[in-house]
Parts: sequence; C-alpha cells; structure tokens
Amino acid sequence: MKILIADDSRVMRQIVIRTLRQAGYDDHDIVEAEDGADALAKVSSEQPDLVLSDWNMPNMTGIECLQALRASGSAVPFGFVTSEGSAEMREKAANAGALFLIAKPFTEDTFKEHLDGVIA
Amino acid sequence: MTTTDTGERRRASDTRPVITDLIDEATVESIAAEAWVALVGEDEVLVPLPGDLPADILSSWVDVVGPWTGSVVLTTGRATAEELSRALLREHAPEVLDDEDVADAFGEIANVVGGNVKAALPGPSALSLPQVGNAPLVRNQADVCRLDVLWRGEPVAISVQGALPPLPGSTPTRKNEVS
Repeated sequence: MKILIADDSRVMRQIVIRTLRQAGYDDHDIVEAEDGADALAKVSSEQPDLVLSDWNMPNMTGIECLQALRASGSAVPFGFVTSEGSAEMREKAANAGALFLIAKPFTEDTFKEHLDGVIA
Repeated sequence: MTTTDTGERRRASDTRPVITDLIDEATVESIAAEAWVALVGEDEVLVPLPGDLPADILSSWVDVVGPWTGSVVLTTGRATAEELSRALLREHAPEVLDDEDVADAFGEIANVVGGNVKAALPGPSALSLPQVGNAPLVRNQADVCRLDVLWRGEPVAISVQGALPPLPGSTPTRKNEVS
C-alpha cells in the first residue's frame, strides 16, 4: 500500500511517518508532499492508496486539494491530520469527502482508531 | 437632514471579549502538556513554574482571526528552542541544526498548541501558518492569558494575546514584549 503524506512541515511529516510505524503500519510505501498543490500532483503521478494531509498549508490548503481531487473524479481515500479539530472543521472535512480527521497532537492509538479498516 | 453621531451605536458594537473571558491558564496548560507529550516525548513534562528567560530568546506563534483575534505565542531561549527541535526530530536531527530546522520544529509546536487553543475559542476563526522570530507586541495587558513553565529546567512562556489595542475608556495598557 502506498501512503501520501502532505504537510508543509518536514518535522511533522516525519512525526506522522514515525507514528504510522509505531501504530504497526510499518511496511507501506511512503510518499511525501510539501503542500496541497504538491499533493494534488503526486496523487496523479504516484497513485497512492491513501492520502494523509495537513489542513493549513501554503500554495494550496488540504481542503482545497481534496476538493480539487473530487472535482477531477479522484476517489482516493483521504484523511486529515491537522492541528484544528473543531466540530466545524470536522464537518467541513466530512462534507468534502474526507474519511476522517485526526487532530494534532495525536498518539499511535489515535492512528489505530482511525486507520484500522482503512489500511489493509 | 443631518444626524448627530452620539457614539451609542459604535459603543454598542465595540464590545468584544478579552481572552481571559474565553480561556483560562489551566486550559492552556492542559493543551500545552498534551502537545509536549505527543510531539516532544512521552516523558516530557512542563512544570508550571516561572523562570527568567535568557537574553537571547526566540518566539514561534500562530495568529487566530475571528470573534477573538490575536496570537498564540511560545517564547523560550534560542538554545532551548534548538533543544526542542532536536527532541522533535529525534534520530533525524542533523549534527548542526540550521535555522530552517528550528523554524519548522518550533513553529510546529506553536501550530499544534495554537490550533487547540483556537478550537477552545468561539468560532468561526481562521488560523495562520506558524511564524518564528520576535514575538508580536502585547497591545492590551487585559487581553493576555500567559502561562510560564519550565521544560527540562528551562523557561518557556506561552502567551495567548490579543492583537488589538484596548478600547477607549477601558483599562490603560503598557506596551510590553514577552520578556
């Protein structure tokens, strides 16, 4: 399985990768994107099986990326990993077609809770 | 017909909350403690004690714009900001950290703390991308919720501070950076 991780923070991408491994998802291919525009391009070029994306990013936000993906006909499973976990953001994410929203700070248990069933 | 501006309508619409009406230190402390454990490390605790910040300090912050507008600012010694960055990077930390590494890691802590502070405030609000450098000025002492903690014995100040000056007629303010 190929997982695309989009976050403008390199440190946070590493923390997401580390947490995936700690949660037991350690034998998957990881592709990194540094903003929403990069993620959009890499969904097309890399054909990931899952996108884990930050919300607030320069160039193109995570929600704009998701909306662009759905508008282009892509149904790639998409989840947010973001510091903003308010009810309002969760509703926006769900309405745009996100499977889940993991709020930062997260633990390996948070990842397991949201990703079991999504990652084979 | 001319009308006289009595100021009544302006005064009625000028009421706005200050941060201490919306969030308390205990909530900020809880948010920061959770961020530290998740990002910095499981055994990393914040001790709620004030300490003297060194002369060479660095701040990271995010801005919140909404019914309450201001910044969530972390300030610590530059050396402590570097130590925090190393803790986040763990085995990926290079031998010599460059400014970009510190800006990324220290900014991300402000982003996580700020995002959770934003979620505790009335919305809808927008959150900026994190910035690192000299903290925004405190423009209204009455619109500040500040928490002083020690991490590994080093002082860290967490300030949730309004961006706007006090309204006319309210308590006078003094300009003061986090120090």
